Amino acid sequence: MSWLLHRVDDRLIHGQVVVAWGQRLRPVRIWVADDASAADEWERELLATVAPGIEVHVVPVAEAAAAYAGEAAAPGGAFLLVRDLGTALAVVEAGAAIPSFTLGGLHYAPGRVKINEYIYLGPEDRRAARALIARGVRLEVQDVPATRPQALPTLDPATAAP
Amino acid sequence: MSRVPALLIMHADLAAALLRAAEKLYGPVDDVDVLSNEGLSRADLEQAIEARVAAWPAGGLVLTDMWGGSCYQSGASVARGHGEVVVVTGLNLPTLLDYLHNRDQTAVSELADRLLRKGQDSIRVQRGLPA
Repeated sequence: MSWLLHRVDDRLIHGQVVVAWGQRLRPVRIWVADDASAADEWERELLATVAPGIEVHVVPVAEAAAAYAGEAAAPGGAFLLVRDLGTALAVVEAGAAIPSFTLGGLHYAPGRVKINEYIYLGPEDRRAARALIARGVRLEVQDVPATRPQALPTLDPATAAP
Repeated sequence: MSRVPALLIMHADLAAALLRAAEKLYGPVDDVDVLSNEGLSRADLEQAIEARVAAWPAGGLVLTDMWGGSCYQSGASVARGHGEVVVVTGLNLPTLLDYLHNRDQTAVSELADRLLRKGQDSIRVQRGLPA
């Protein structure tokens, strides 16, 4: 076993992750790579308590990237969660050899355009998506296991690598 | 004692549907607000909850459908800055009705404890018997 899921979701650990993906893939560890959450003790504790029976590590991007290869060799499966595409790119640029990310929830904010019901992207998101794809990272859109994954560039041609 | 206000925050259309179901049994309901997490980031969800909670002069209850979900997390984050706001999760119809019947004579914290007991007591099993 090793990495089971790399997910981009602005809600980080929540119902879809724990209930839908967690019941299906049974991770033993969840890594949240997020500088802001890692710096906030209350947020770290909140995220640790909402995934019962799963070991939760809320760490800065650099620490997640440093732990990435080791986790791949550890017993049991793991999830990696980031809140946006910029963070996904930062983890990859920091040295984590991540083959793909699943875009599970990037909700509306001013300046973002609708890609589907649960993915909205702004210029920064699209720039990060193109950079990830240019590095050979696959980007798929899928909220829960029961829905069909779709390649991001198919849904949003503006994210296709130049 | 003043009435304890409540915000129902749940997935999809559950909050509005649960309130509508409660009204069938209780009658018209005032002072209960409903919110869906659909399409909202955690930050937007927290803002939406904050806006409602800020209008409560003496606290109130944030009632969510599932412990650990984004509704719960956002409610808990907002309650962190408001001492008299209490989050109760796993709400169902008997629990919502119990809130409605007791919100005018019970303090926020006691009402939360009461709903916890009511909720735990409300799920029961009745097995069939052979004919």
